Amino acid sequence: MSKPLDNHWTAVVNGEQKHLEIAQTTRLVDVLRTHLQLTGTKVSCEVGRCGACMVLMNGEPVNSCLVMAYQCEGSDIMTIEGLHGEEKGTLHPIQQAFVEEGGFQCGYCTPGMVISTKALLDAHPEPSQEQIETGLCGNLCRCTGYGGIIRAVRKAGERCVVKETSPEETVS
Amino acid sequence: MLLNRKQSGKRWHLRPDGAPKVTGQLQYLTDMTLPDMIHGRVLRSEYPYARILSVDTSEAEALEGVYAVLTSKDVPGLNRFGIATPDQPVFCEDIVRYVGDAIAAVAADSPERAALALDAIRVVYEELTPLNSTDAALAPGAPELHEHGPGNVLHRTEIKRGDAEQAFANCDHIVTETYYTPRQMHAYMETEGGLFVPDEEGRLNVYAATQHGYKDRMQLARIIGYPEEDIRVVSSPIGGSFGGKDELNVQPYGALLALRCGRPVKMHNSRKESVRAGLKRHPMKIEMQTGMSREGILQAHRVRITADTGAYATLGAPVLNFCTEHCLGPYAIPNVDVEGVSVYTNNGLSGEFRGFGGNQAIFAMEGQMDRLAAIMNMDPWEFRRRNMREKNDPGPLNQRILVTDGLSQVWEALDRSELWQKHQSPPADPALPPWIKRGVGAAIAMHGAGLGYGIPDPAGGRLSLNNEGKIEVAFSYEEFGQGLIATLEIMLCDLFQCSTSDLSIIIGDTDRVPHSGSSTASRSTTMAWMALQRLQTPFRSRVLATASVMSGIPTDELVTGPGGVWRKDQLPAETSEVETPEKAERTKVAEIVAGRTESTQIAESYLGASQYLAKEGVSSGFVVSYAELATQGEADEWIFDTKFDYPTTPDNVVGGHYLYTYAAVAAEVEVNTLTGETKLLDTRHVVAAGPVINPMGYIGQIEGGSVMALGFTLTEDAVMQDSRYVTTNLDTYLIPTIQDIHTNLEVEAIEDLPEGDAFGPRGIGEIGSVALAPAITAAIHQATGVWVNSLPVPREQLVRPLNVPLQEGVSPS
Repeated sequence: MSKPLDNHWTAVVNGEQKHLEIAQTTRLVDVLRTHLQLTGTKVSCEVGRCGACMVLMNGEPVNSCLVMAYQCEGSDIMTIEGLHGEEKGTLHPIQQAFVEEGGFQCGYCTPGMVISTKALLDAHPEPSQEQIETGLCGNLCRCTGYGGIIRAVRKAGERCVVKETSPEETVS
Repeated sequence: MLLNRKQSGKRWHLRPDGAPKVTGQLQYLTDMTLPDMIHGRVLRSEYPYARILSVDTSEAEALEGVYAVLTSKDVPGLNRFGIATPDQPVFCEDIVRYVGDAIAAVAADSPERAALALDAIRVVYEELTPLNSTDAALAPGAPELHEHGPGNVLHRTEIKRGDAEQAFANCDHIVTETYYTPRQMHAYMETEGGLFVPDEEGRLNVYAATQHGYKDRMQLARIIGYPEEDIRVVSSPIGGSFGGKDELNVQPYGALLALRCGRPVKMHNSRKESVRAGLKRHPMKIEMQTGMSREGILQAHRVRITADTGAYATLGAPVLNFCTEHCLGPYAIPNVDVEGVSVYTNNGLSGEFRGFGGNQAIFAMEGQMDRLAAIMNMDPWEFRRRNMREKNDPGPLNQRILVTDGLSQVWEALDRSELWQKHQSPPADPALPPWIKRGVGAAIAMHGAGLGYGIPDPAGGRLSLNNEGKIEVAFSYEEFGQGLIATLEIMLCDLFQCSTSDLSIIIGDTDRVPHSGSSTASRSTTMAWMALQRLQTPFRSRVLATASVMSGIPTDELVTGPGGVWRKDQLPAETSEVETPEKAERTKVAEIVAGRTESTQIAESYLGASQYLAKEGVSSGFVVSYAELATQGEADEWIFDTKFDYPTTPDNVVGGHYLYTYAAVAAEVEVNTLTGETKLLDTRHVVAAGPVINPMGYIGQIEGGSVMALGFTLTEDAVMQDSRYVTTNLDTYLIPTIQDIHTNLEVEAIEDLPEGDAFGPRGIGEIGSVALAPAITAAIHQATGVWVNSLPVPREQLVRPLNVPLQEGVSPS
């Protein structure tokens, strides 16, 4: 990391190349919410505990409140706005499962929770209970008591494994 | 009925706000921005208790990019707020009473510049010794925090019945115990904030979360000196509240700054500021003495409640009323002597919180019941049955209450449960190491709904056919996650056999909804249901009469259905069909939500009625569409309003409730006696709250309430030292994570109501959170022999050397 800290920041956000003139000490959560108007990434504890601001950085889940612009310069970032089903404008199987199983209430933790679930299922397509707990213990939810979330993650896991299933067949 | 997705069948209704939430497209009020907006921040006190000698804002005002710096002299109206007792200053004039007290507010062109401006405000204080406990505040000679004393007492309560002193003298057994409960934090994920926009017509638009938009509007009008009609409060969607956003928080500052600057002002509290300034659950000390006869029948109950209400009143008095009412439990006790006191201190700000004082009371009372049963060497559940109030007995305050079988039903259902049966033969697993102990406990509760006798509790609603041909309902309730919009959809589809795409649901906007009261006290579902019962007949009559005129078919051969009016015998059978995921996506999201959802791709791509009909290929029985009906006559002829009050007991007992819900909870725990850690393994909630309208919402509320109660029991406490918060964020204030929960939670719903019951489904927002704590501590007792009397459960009480046998006893020291 010998590059001087100028104000020029680039990254691929949700598949699109982004160029911004910002201070390199800007937090990623502010880059997303303020500069790119991607408010699906939520701000809550700002100390990396609650997971509401979770995004994928080069495929890995990170709390965007803890990442500064210079640390994600040139990386590939996916926010909740970048997640969708086979076509843009449709729900990803994980999002679909959250809707069907009541995996949210107020919904403020949900984008972060969905992103962490994406990372979990990418790493463990058929997660055990322990893997679910480990994968999501960095995301706090105050409304659901996690019951609906666990049911959603299990269902999403089944869906993601059986990729060819049509929407009609998945409604039980 | 065991409540789960499978059992719910077609009533498993997907939420219309689901797609916008899981895609991140939903704009919360704190996500809103406007191009010319500026940023507001509040300067809060450096001390929990101090005299303000001077405030110098000149340096801050001179900073570049700073648009306004406001102090108490800039408040045009009342410099106070508070729903019940307006004693909290918008800006302190001469005294600060807690670390969240506001002294000044600034607006600047960036959040960073606003922070700089705060730093540039010079406040000179004379520090005072804070009253850091209720004992200190009640001590003779303690300084009075408020003029409206006497002393530092906000409120006192009392229930006296029979002759307790005499009765205790005749009791064969008496249990005396003191219970302590923590300063629990709401920990809603979205901290307080919003956008404040003055418009060209001179009105102020407030986009900020609250549980009661009209109450906010009234209070803001008082503060800024505006007529209420000149303020619009938009208050949904909300990222969680649990009672914590019921009082004003950032609204006075945002409003004053926006009006001063003539520009939109954005406010958004950091988590640390939210902790510092926001409400908490009242910490309470509850001393209880309960006596019984040789046969184990309760004779006398003496209770002394001391609640730490913190610096300002908020709803401290009603919370104490509620606690007082609920500290008798659902039991028949002839001699009662209860006194409660709510005390001002410099310890933050206590206020309303899910359960509203019931949680503390029920923890204490159920603890007494377990201790008494142990003395009798009796099954604690059987002990409760012997002492439970009879179906026709008056309520805890000797007031008349609505008769239901709820109490005995939840008792019986839990008694039958496999989990509670484990209590008879304490679970022992030889595979477990000897320091792991298991136990099962249970608790029961009756919990009042609504605000109670003597407190204005208006309700109502509006049902109309709007000019787009949608069946529109409007209420002043709020969606803070509980699933209100989905519940309203289900109710309307049930009533009119229509489809969700025929509906328009409007909430959370004082310009667009009638005054139908607050979303608090588990009241919204009941009130919405009662309003729709009143409104459906006039609405349907008008719809069918108009359809009859248009078609020539007699009204008694017509019914409402999907898309419009149908011939009765040709209504499609599957009108309220289960929501398919595909359909959920095209379901029109309630306007208040969709209106601020940037992408309309998912939220608004619903099929209109005509497309629906074409797609379904059913038109032979179709008479006329809602859209066509709406063109007939004047628009206001299609609007129906109702107003009424939440049902209250006819007896003059302030705060006394009329409708109660009932719950029984069993819990199995595992205690590690080397570390003191308690793990909740299994839980069953039995809830008697009338018909289940929205199973997904119902399960979610009970599960969520239960896990919130788990935190209350095992880990949560906003610790203060010298009236300053030690736990300032979610890294040290520990709410349950997905690793801490009881994954075997089961919910059993008892749906019976008496024949002809006029009140319908009862709210269940609170009942899941009130009885878990005593069930867990009873289970801990079975596992370890330790009677826990303090929450969160002190781990050190459960740690013991391996070679010491378990001992019975009250409150180990």
